Amino acid sequence: MMLSYQKRISLTAIIMVLALLLVMAALWLPAIKRDVKIMDALFVLDITDSMNVEDAQVNGENVSRLTWAKEFTRRAFLDMPCGAHAGLAIFSEARTLILMNPVEVCASYHDLTRMLNAFEPHMAWARSSEVSKAVYTAIRQAKDIAPKPTIVFVTDGHESPPLHESLFPKFDGKPGEIRGVMVGIGGDDLLPIPKTNESGEIEGVWGVNDVMHQDVYASLQADTTVNVPKTRTEHMSSQKRAHLQTLADRVGFDFVSSPTKPGKLVDAIRAQSETRPQTIDYDLYSWLAAIALTLILLVYLPYGLLIRTDD
Amino acid sequence: MNFSGLEWFNAWVLVLLPLALLPWFNHNLDKTVAWVELVPVDPLSRFFNIGLKLLATLVIAALVLALAGPSLPEQKVERIGEGAEIVLLLDRSRSMDSPFAVKHQAAAVSVGGDNSKRSVARDYLSEFIKNRPDDRFGFVFFSTKSVNLLPLTYDKEAILATIDANALGKGLSDTNMAEALLSSAAMFEGQAYRGSRIVLLVSDGGQLLSHEDKETITRLYREMNLGIYWIYLKSNREMTLEESDDDNLLWVDIPERKLHKFFTSIGVPYRAFEAGSLEAFAEALAEIDRQQYQTLIVEETLPHEPKADALLWLALLALLLLAASHVYTFWGVKKAHE
Repeated sequence: MMLSYQKRISLTAIIMVLALLLVMAALWLPAIKRDVKIMDALFVLDITDSMNVEDAQVNGENVSRLTWAKEFTRRAFLDMPCGAHAGLAIFSEARTLILMNPVEVCASYHDLTRMLNAFEPHMAWARSSEVSKAVYTAIRQAKDIAPKPTIVFVTDGHESPPLHESLFPKFDGKPGEIRGVMVGIGGDDLLPIPKTNESGEIEGVWGVNDVMHQDVYASLQADTTVNVPKTRTEHMSSQKRAHLQTLADRVGFDFVSSPTKPGKLVDAIRAQSETRPQTIDYDLYSWLAAIALTLILLVYLPYGLLIRTDD
Repeated sequence: MNFSGLEWFNAWVLVLLPLALLPWFNHNLDKTVAWVELVPVDPLSRFFNIGLKLLATLVIAALVLALAGPSLPEQKVERIGEGAEIVLLLDRSRSMDSPFAVKHQAAAVSVGGDNSKRSVARDYLSEFIKNRPDDRFGFVFFSTKSVNLLPLTYDKEAILATIDANALGKGLSDTNMAEALLSSAAMFEGQAYRGSRIVLLVSDGGQLLSHEDKETITRLYREMNLGIYWIYLKSNREMTLEESDDDNLLWVDIPERKLHKFFTSIGVPYRAFEAGSLEAFAEALAEIDRQQYQTLIVEETLPHEPKADALLWLALLALLLLAASHVYTFWGVKKAHE
């Protein structure tokens, strides 16, 4: 369809005036209020020896589980919307130690990452790794923080000393009272665990006779129905998926095994969190300017190439 | 993305820039003329023709650039302020879980309550930090191993959240003061000297330092020009850090006094506050607040400065002329047809 010259001229005039009004609106229309859903998360990183096993991948390179955990946490900060809060904690021995209460991720990103970079295996204050108890202490302490954060517990699930199935540490809280996501890390193959010395340097690996292979209770029993003889593999580590799933079910957490994209974890956190609305100023300028641009482009698109003009 | 000294929030929009050339490649607005030779050469209309195309190009380019979301990146500027650079060294040992300044024995047994030494330290330090706008604070993780958990920062929210976290949960069984003191000094390593440097130690006990540690601490603290403030949370009101004549024999060789003696001997600015009560604790911080207003070079971060408005203004002015000319053409053509 070919418009007459007169029609083209009048349409162009109308479009130009409209575009002018839109650009004026883009400049002077005040920002509108909009609610975004934000969440509070507390990232707990396992810093026990088993996290030094190098079976995780960052950018296609094999790195230690702790390096992966740090890098993944940093990327998760970037994927969280501004206004959301994130805090940091470490886990060693049988407890979670909170180091920074949740702060706004965009404004304090710099300090969050600087603290995250300071996390090293030598911060561990004892050489054991009781994951379940650490999850419980994290939950207990999270209740003292306002607003209550969603716990993101990054671990390989390696319990040392091992746990007996029937002697699982008792959880005295209410499942789901504090929400959380267990993030499992580590491969499926049992690998030797690097051993840190007193000054935190890695010195060889844990030997088969360095660690307990049964829980404390069972190891003291002569009765082989309790002290069941089994292969001694507790000096090696892999991701303990089944254990993490059991633990997550017990405390009402979600379980994500070896996530590949931080965005997926942030989605899982959002799904778990009791998000709270925060009002932000939202400037409409980009929408108005985009419409103005589209209108003006309509005038100048090379229709001649599309339509044969035979006049 | 960074480009031409600006940060672009939606850099991908920039691929639309070539669209700005569209006005030069079409004849949508030309009038069909039977025979071109009939049109007289008119320099003025040629000038207007090119002018209008330029304006259209300008409008499209300005709008595309505005949509790409340009902003001046964060900038660091230095200004002269008043205050100090303070490294916080908060004791996280088990003893800090017991209540502070209790009057009778029964209350001393309750552990980890709201009046624990750690909670009290959090409350008073938070107030102190909020009142010191120009100070830069750092935080040392104080356990068997010390780690510079939060290097010196101006971010008040981050340091306050770290102090809050320090009051949570139970204390650690083992703390190493020599490590922590060395770690605090390391915080200033490689930093330009900006003004008064303070290590603020809050603890309820002292520790014996090895001869070697003492030497290193003395050397580092002198080299780096560090001052020490020690807020000593006393459990026993009569005990003093300074020796006196009618001393209880039990107090003569306690680690607190040895540490105090060591701090006094190394020749750096040092002051101890013996806080036996909440009032004394508050007074100690108020005194530090009064003393530490010396000239300080403060680094400030200016936030992103969006620059889209300038481009929208450009688009607006060009569009004003363009729209006016098109409305005028419309009016003229309408007149001619009447």
